[in-house]
Amino acid sequence: MKPDKVIITNVGALKSKYDDRFGRVQAAIHRLLGADKKRGLQTKLVAVDSASDMRAAHGKAVREVDDQRAVKKAVDAIYNAYEPDYIMILGAQDIVPHQDLKNPVYDPQGDEDKVVPSDMPYACEASYSKEPGDFVGPTRVVGRVPDLVRSSDPAYLVSLLGTAARHRTRPRSEYQQYFSVSAEVWKASTALSLTKIFGSSLSMATSPPKGPSWTNTELGRRIHFINCHGSPDDPNFYGQCGRSYPIAHTAKKLVKKIMDGTVIAVECCYGAQLYDPADADMRPGICSTYLKDGAYGFFGSSTIAYGPSEGNGQADLICQYFIDEVLDGASLGEGTLKARHRFAQAYTHLDPTDLKTMVQFHLLGDPSVHPVGAVPHSLARTKSFKQAFKERQNAKGTRKLRRERAARTGTNLRNSLGTPNRFDEALPGEIGTVLESVARESGIKSYGAQSFTVKYRDEGLVENMKRFAPAREGRALYMLSGSRPLPKEAPGRVVVIIGTVQNGHLIHMRRLHSR
Amino acid sequence: MNLRGRVVKRVLFAGTKSEHEGLVLITAAGEFKLQLKGGNPFWDEKLAALQGKEIEAEGTMRETRFIMSQWIVLP
Repeated sequence: MKPDKVIITNVGALKSKYDDRFGRVQAAIHRLLGADKKRGLQTKLVAVDSASDMRAAHGKAVREVDDQRAVKKAVDAIYNAYEPDYIMILGAQDIVPHQDLKNPVYDPQGDEDKVVPSDMPYACEASYSKEPGDFVGPTRVVGRVPDLVRSSDPAYLVSLLGTAARHRTRPRSEYQQYFSVSAEVWKASTALSLTKIFGSSLSMATSPPKGPSWTNTELGRRIHFINCHGSPDDPNFYGQCGRSYPIAHTAKKLVKKIMDGTVIAVECCYGAQLYDPADADMRPGICSTYLKDGAYGFFGSSTIAYGPSEGNGQADLICQYFIDEVLDGASLGEGTLKARHRFAQAYTHLDPTDLKTMVQFHLLGDPSVHPVGAVPHSLARTKSFKQAFKERQNAKGTRKLRRERAARTGTNLRNSLGTPNRFDEALPGEIGTVLESVARESGIKSYGAQSFTVKYRDEGLVENMKRFAPAREGRALYMLSGSRPLPKEAPGRVVVIIGTVQNGHLIHMRRLHSR
Repeated sequence: MNLRGRVVKRVLFAGTKSEHEGLVLITAAGEFKLQLKGGNPFWDEKLAALQGKEIEAEGTMRETRFIMSQWIVLP
């Protein structure tokens, strides 16, 4: 029988990392396998470095831990062999690497992330590539239970595996209250996100003036939604008001204050970066600290993120969708997959910042965990229904239907969603004149320009979609970004203007304000 | 490692959620974002006092960030 869930790791790397204490990790994995079995999940551990495991999956063993191409091929082979409903990657990037994708917004003067470390390729059928545009059609439910980068103490990983093994599903009422902190300059955007999810933003705190000391009551709420600044290799998130960037949230004040089962969505730049604690005076990141304290899942970004100061976009949306799906009863992994789908489905094509958003947010936590119980239909309470499904066989059956639906959505997105490809062309004269005029009206003094073609796959041009082929040909994106001479305390001083051009005609414009 | 250069204010990470005014060290080898070891990565008043000055600094390089542990202001 095919397993429902596969735990993918590199056992050789774990043994090398934990040496004679690897047995503790192994025991914790077996406890999780046992706990899953009691919940009706058949879980299989597959080592990508094991010749026999990979032979059974019709794949090749990974020889070098950081060989991203080999690991992606191994994960694809495992998925194709077992078709699991859940893929749980076990270990940080020094056990199972992220896939480093090209940053579609790379700019040495702006977004200087050369690559986007991503788990998105593991969720996609597309074969190994560095191009983020190849991974816009996720179909698999994936999450990562990380350990601490370069730490030889297994206690952290054993603790996280224990959280996954002991987890329990709770009623939505236990997730109705939230903790939220927003940088003061982004409070309008955060309030809008919270209102969409919870119907109110009354519990939102802003930094400054609040933080980083939060009460046990505040931190004890089971949904955390954070929209602050983040920095690489840093155990703090930062608020902002003018030139003041106080610490809004810090790992050291979270310890032993997090409620078991907490789910966190974080919009901050580098919010879910798994860094080596040695790079921050042995202080692990906020994401690692939450998970150690019993959080079930942490959804965040590996790199610099995007979003408007007012209204919602990019990071706001994908984080909202994740929380919304989890509250609706999705597993953490399915919530992640559906958040990606909902984000992408809103567009005919992704602009470069949208594409980066798609691939930079990932789930840290066991993807099979359902924090919130779905509300059953009244039919499920009838004797006949209970008799028909007394072995709970409907759980697996309906999960398979959800996976089929997700595969359909992901496949459609892959085949039909346009993605940006940077190319070296100056702005065409007439388009340049319009965008420059908008830039002047927006108060931009000086700006840089980038050009992108929009690439579509031929597979999507079927049936009535064929009539859009001429329109898609020659579609291009032109992006101007520059600064406005506004007061220092004003948000949105940097403005990005994106024009969509089709067959030489400007058909759409979008103005994004920096945070 | 040691670096020598001039401290200048710049808009960093333009167009992103992390866009902010910060300080960079302009050296013969290139331009590096400055951060004090253990300090605020976005704005640090101790660093702000160095704006416009030539300094020689000791620290570690992380990608394009120079994490400064000590420094002297050059005459």
